[in-house]
Amino acid sequence: MDRAGGQANEDKQPAAAKTWSGLPLKGLYTASDVEGMDYARDLGNAGDYPYTRGIHPNMYRGRQWTQKLLCGFGTPADTNERLRSYIGEGAKALDIIPDVPSWIGIDADHPRARGEVGVQGVNLTSLEDIEIMLDGLPPELPLILHGTNTMASPFELGAWAVLAEKRGLPLASLRGTLLNDPLFTFYCSWWPEGKLLVDLALKLGIDAIEYCTENMPRVYSSYSDGYNFREMGINAPQELALTLAKARCYVDKCRERGLAIDAFAPRLTFCFSAHIDFFEEIAKIRAARRMWARIAREQYGAQDPRSLKLRFSVHTAGCSLVSAQPLNNIVRVAYEAMAAALGGAQAMDLCCYDEAVNIPSEEAGILSLRTQQILACETGITAVADPLGGSYYVEGLTSALEAKTAEILAEIDEVGGVVSAIKTGWVDDLIEREALNYHKELEAGERTVVGQNAFLMEEEAQAPVDYHRTRPESEAEQVANVRRLKRTRNNRLVQETLESLQRRAGAPEKVNLMPEVIEAVRAYATVGEISGVIRLAHGFRYDPFGELEAPFGLR
Amino acid sequence: MARPPAQPEIRVLISKVGLDGHDRGAKIVASLLRDAGMEVVYLGRFQTPENIVRAAVEEDVDVIGLSCLSGVHLTHAPRVVELMRDNQMDDVLLIVGGVFPVQEIADLKEAGVDEVFMGSLTGPIVDYIRDRCTKNRHHEKDEPRSSAP
Repeated sequence: MDRAGGQANEDKQPAAAKTWSGLPLKGLYTASDVEGMDYARDLGNAGDYPYTRGIHPNMYRGRQWTQKLLCGFGTPADTNERLRSYIGEGAKALDIIPDVPSWIGIDADHPRARGEVGVQGVNLTSLEDIEIMLDGLPPELPLILHGTNTMASPFELGAWAVLAEKRGLPLASLRGTLLNDPLFTFYCSWWPEGKLLVDLALKLGIDAIEYCTENMPRVYSSYSDGYNFREMGINAPQELALTLAKARCYVDKCRERGLAIDAFAPRLTFCFSAHIDFFEEIAKIRAARRMWARIAREQYGAQDPRSLKLRFSVHTAGCSLVSAQPLNNIVRVAYEAMAAALGGAQAMDLCCYDEAVNIPSEEAGILSLRTQQILACETGITAVADPLGGSYYVEGLTSALEAKTAEILAEIDEVGGVVSAIKTGWVDDLIEREALNYHKELEAGERTVVGQNAFLMEEEAQAPVDYHRTRPESEAEQVANVRRLKRTRNNRLVQETLESLQRRAGAPEKVNLMPEVIEAVRAYATVGEISGVIRLAHGFRYDPFGELEAPFGLR
Repeated sequence: MARPPAQPEIRVLISKVGLDGHDRGAKIVASLLRDAGMEVVYLGRFQTPENIVRAAVEEDVDVIGLSCLSGVHLTHAPRVVELMRDNQMDDVLLIVGGVFPVQEIADLKEAGVDEVFMGSLTGPIVDYIRDRCTKNRHHEKDEPRSSAP
């Protein structure tokens, strides 16, 4: 690449007069920027309402953030091996990402899955796959199944419950998180029918919350994710507004189902991006806690302090990584993780430096875990709760983020709430507009990104990355496994449980499908079969691509 | 009176391929190619190689741009090349953009992809398409396709 091709004016940096999201910045913040702020009303000590300064009085002295490391590729056995390595190196959760077919809810042997099995994550077609993937791993570790926000969600939750039962673990003892965020999913194209499935998705999401509230009370069962929206190109206050708007929708839907807010809100979690603008991300997180506490108490009348506390996980911004000069990403991720820690995250999952080109190698994965460990053990920033609280700048910026977010929330309310904002395309327009603006500013050199539009290097001078390669034979092995399973399982029982699930799925919306899903999972019905009969009962085609007939003569 | 015919607009088809849903880059490229004066057909997500080549024939495009960020480029791009050959689309450029190890750029080119763009500024993409399409058209003028009797 031509070095002179860098378009940003390298001499100009660092002259930012606004945050990465475009909020104006002064050169110096003073007491006048926190004028009118009331300590008890607007900040409170860490552990006190409105939790601006953190949800625990002693923050990381009391409990370290959960150090996660996302994992998933190839066959369930491939992923099991990598999970063992990560746990051995100190990862504190089983944080599992499925491949795209599993996410969409089609089986490994589906014609459209060809070339995609085990590529972007691990293939999870049946209970057998979950059994193999988790074999020998410590059952007390929290389990985070990333497919639990799609048509695969009932299957994955059901498989978790059945596996626990087989291992003799009481459901009430299980810990972990469902990424149960039904309003988000089609944005990542996990449903070919897109928005047509919004209402069904919401129904299945509320089923999962209700089931966990009653049976798996330690599991975080509802989830509002800002991260993936942010990755699509929106800015920090837009991310926060959409996250809060979705959480409000889930609370509304649970209340319609008859669940009291204090019954499930203590197990509601959030996920945010930690992007590259250090102080803006810290301010966003602090504003998020204050806003949620007030929404939960003032709008919904929550009484239990646990309902008011915004707990969240952070994933560092994949879209902030640059494919050129990949080692630079190690530095980016470390800054982003530090912002998350200073903001008071309960869990973190850092990008690996090679993720701008591929799913991570084992070496890159362990390095991202070491980045968290150095942050937690060596830097000293965990000793004191909310170390930046009281800074004129941080408090001023926190209030600015809050004000901008409130404006966007009001716009969402004006278009009829978040479900309507999604169905009418308001959210799509927001994402496309913002992503394009961002990119145009990058092209024009109004933003400087090292290695992307400034400080370029000749290609041969870029550090080579020994990237991850999934075993090429893993797809064929997994497809063969699934075909064998379908031949050898008790197909009479599979058919009975699927028929029963389909009947139940045709019942009124408030009828929870999880008991029937669990029986089908136990019989080794697959993710495609389980989501397929639910789809049929709701008037959709059995197969999202319309290429397969339903098995067992189901219709 | 004879006015030279205006250079027809370059027609580009941009598509996601396979099940990958990451479409931020594809949409931005589509939009910025339009800003550069090209006519862009954006096919969107969940496209198979067969859909893509069929649409490219129907839309009579000069360029097919595939976007893939999920790692399945080495499965789907060669299939697109094969279908383009079957349809005698020798004068249509095939470019690929997305996220993959630089080591695999050579594999894609070996499979018949004309050019690969990873990086994210669109200037080089516009320049490449303009340059190659102009050459292709000159080439066509020199050696017109044989037509009936």
